[in-house]
Amino acid sequence: MAKVPITISVNGDTYEALVKPSTTLLDFLREHLFLTGTKKGCDTGECGACTVLLDGRAVNSCLVLAVDANGGQVTTVEGLGDPEHPHPLQKAFIEHGAIQCGYCTPGMLISSKALLDRSPNPSETEIKTALAGNLCRCGGYLKIIEAIKSLAKV
Amino acid sequence: MEETYQVIGKRVPRLDALSKAMGDLRYVSDIQLPGILIGKVLRSPLPHAKILQIDISRAIRIAGVKAVVTAADTPRRKFCMNPAWANNMLLQDEKVRYVGDQVAAVAAIDEDTALEALSLIKVDYEPLPAVFDPEEAMKPGAPRIHQEESNIALHGSRNFGDVEQGFREANSICEGTYYSPAIAHCCMEPRGCVADYDRSGKLTVWSTTQTPHPLREELSEVLGLPQSKISVFQAPVGGAFGARMGMDPIDGIAAVLSMKSQRPVKVINTREEEFLSSRIRYPMKIWIRSGAKKNGRLVAREIKVITDNGAYNHEGQYIMGNAGSKLAQLYAVPNIRYEGLLVYTNNVYGGAFRGYGNPQITYAMETQLDQIAESLNMDPVEIRLINANQPGSMTVSGCRITSCGLTACIEMVSQNARWREKKMGKKEIGPSLRRGIGLACMIHGASGVKFFWGKDCNFSSAIIKINTDGSVDLLTGSAELGQGSNTTLAMIAAEELGVSLSDVNVINGDTDTTPACGGAWGTRQTFTAGNAVRQAASEVKKQLFGVVSRLLEAPLQDLEARDNKIYVRGTPGKYVTVKEAAAESWRNRGNPIIGRGGNDDPWSVQPDPKTGYGNVSSAYAFAAQAAEVEVDVETGLVNVINFWCAHDVGKAINPIGAECQIEGGVISMGVGYALMENLILQGGQVQNTNFADYKIPTMLDTCQVNTYLIETIDEHGPFGAKGVGEPAMIPSAAAVASAIYDAVGIWVTEVPITPEKVLKAIKEKQRAKEQ
Repeated sequence: MAKVPITISVNGDTYEALVKPSTTLLDFLREHLFLTGTKKGCDTGECGACTVLLDGRAVNSCLVLAVDANGGQVTTVEGLGDPEHPHPLQKAFIEHGAIQCGYCTPGMLISSKALLDRSPNPSETEIKTALAGNLCRCGGYLKIIEAIKSLAKV
Repeated sequence: MEETYQVIGKRVPRLDALSKAMGDLRYVSDIQLPGILIGKVLRSPLPHAKILQIDISRAIRIAGVKAVVTAADTPRRKFCMNPAWANNMLLQDEKVRYVGDQVAAVAAIDEDTALEALSLIKVDYEPLPAVFDPEEAMKPGAPRIHQEESNIALHGSRNFGDVEQGFREANSICEGTYYSPAIAHCCMEPRGCVADYDRSGKLTVWSTTQTPHPLREELSEVLGLPQSKISVFQAPVGGAFGARMGMDPIDGIAAVLSMKSQRPVKVINTREEEFLSSRIRYPMKIWIRSGAKKNGRLVAREIKVITDNGAYNHEGQYIMGNAGSKLAQLYAVPNIRYEGLLVYTNNVYGGAFRGYGNPQITYAMETQLDQIAESLNMDPVEIRLINANQPGSMTVSGCRITSCGLTACIEMVSQNARWREKKMGKKEIGPSLRRGIGLACMIHGASGVKFFWGKDCNFSSAIIKINTDGSVDLLTGSAELGQGSNTTLAMIAAEELGVSLSDVNVINGDTDTTPACGGAWGTRQTFTAGNAVRQAASEVKKQLFGVVSRLLEAPLQDLEARDNKIYVRGTPGKYVTVKEAAAESWRNRGNPIIGRGGNDDPWSVQPDPKTGYGNVSSAYAFAAQAAEVEVDVETGLVNVINFWCAHDVGKAINPIGAECQIEGGVISMGVGYALMENLILQGGQVQNTNFADYKIPTMLDTCQVNTYLIETIDEHGPFGAKGVGEPAMIPSAAAVASAIYDAVGIWVTEVPITPEKVLKAIKEKQRAKEQ
């Protein structure tokens, strides 16, 4: 099938590319742009490891076609901060021990950012609901909840 | 007096936290190499069939396909964790034995091309009768899965004391059967491998392994290459829990594809393949009979376990051994008998999974202990305190218990949970809601286990170098899987050397540069790798002291290392920095500071092969966990609301790391094991191959976890430390089962304890009452 031209802004940089209509946003980020911070855990929208912000909303990038993100603004974990100036969420995750194997971390961070962007002082129930689609098998989630709570604006 | 440490015991963020938070760390699937191909595996759709013919002619003609391989492209060598039991192959040639068995593989320029080629490989199968229930498979006349006379892969027994006499002395005897099904590891990162066989004949492998050095040995065996021609890099791993122990067939398949295509090849499992072909927690049917005296003292215990080995040997024999070692380890039981049957079926085969047979047997034994307590009108806490092994205990099977905080763990948990008050309190908290509390304990080897690998390979080693700027390179063959071992090992090195943690650079999991190590399993890295690191650091310190002693003309025994300096004790102004000493030794004496250390769990004793008598581990971890649940009697739904977890960790090297292990063990795995997880197999076909159908705990399933680290300072552990990884989830299911009983008075003897089973048991109980 013929490839389709798309223009996507990722972490503030604009990329023009030709993609197969079947290419997911996840594969576009990982295989075309080599932004491998966004992880593939299931490719069926069930684990949340591939969560990115698309026009400010948290989405499973494995469930979004790259062509559907055409003209959109994407933020991945690489766009949150840099080692000298980590995003407050990144700092909080590190300080609270909210990271173990790290494979779920990028998706957790992005879902957390989407939550805090729309609800700066979330209740515990809001946090749990917002991150229920991000699976973690190592850490039991509690330290992630603590990290997010530490940033809540009272 | 409490020792004061500079580094040990501090709450330290893990060393790789920043790169993980930034998304910078390169996992196997993130690796890109020039010319890299995508590999895909053709798996059997049948549970048992003869392979008559494999026709690859159409697949190989597709443009973009660079290699198609079958067993004919391999040396056809069989493999297993223990070579004596080897009956699996990278690619099967005569028969397939489970749905998901690997038959052929393809490497192509992209995934779509690889999948198209896969669909064009034609395999002629002759279906064979299959068997899926181990008890059916044991019968004479059942379909034979391997060449052997019977499907029984192992039939072993152990006898200590006089069980019959023990039961004669008992005032109460309980008997029951418990079942634990197939469980999937569900590591967030699927298994994967990148293999690059270059034209010089060197094979480089990046794998999601948790045993890099043993993987190199296994690859060398199955590929017929010398170990010097194989470099294994253990990439950062997205969770392991035993799933990545020993070679995975795709490690070898990626290598064969690379050798054939002369290009680097990446093979990454889909999530569906993970559920279909990932080695599982061995399903076990456990029959137990226990006897106790009026005073609560256990006098006899008899257990028979039937384990579904699945289609191939991997670790079932060891796991049966580990499960069987638990009969008298936790509590003093003077008379025990254990019989284990490991049986081949045409189901997906088992492997290591956090606890190594212990979660299954602990769930069964601890549940039955509550039943015995009740028959004697005793409190579950009381019967545990009466029988708890103590420091210095020698078990009937020869285990020497050194440090042991079991009693302290039980007391800590029961006090903080307000056990007595809740146990006596009202269960009814709403029209349909009942609340209950339960408790369970566990013991687990905290230094690995001796009966391992058939090659007695519970060992680790380390090399430490001091650079001319005083920074430290720590080379270890151990594996960082997310559990935080690199941070723990760096802390041990920093403490011993008296340097800052930030000065230690850990190089791990690279077989070219690091010394051999058995890898990460058996809750052994803190203890076994930790001891190796401490010994290497101590050797380095000795060398540094030698240099400083000459420079300052001070006797060796007067020197001490702290704050990156070597001081003459009692004279604060008299010191040489580590940097100066290292530079002096290297530049002016041509003698770089390099130390090595090794540990092979020397305080354990290889059990007697005939009787099983022996001290399987140098150190043992203990824990008590209490769970509080709410049960809805209308729906059967169980909601865990609180956990109290006391773990004897010897000494917490990094308390935050220990807490992470415990919280994750209890919630992400323990609650899942207790209430949700079951890999459903029908006719050998896994029915739930995704996270929508195979449920694991989410953030909505969390509860409060109160963690207590009990420090017993083990005499052999590095700075007194013992491992904590596996223990975290071992007693959780039994604690939940016990809490459900407290709430609604029913025992569910088969995990997962689903609403359906709870409701059924509640109804049966009501019916029995009415009659």
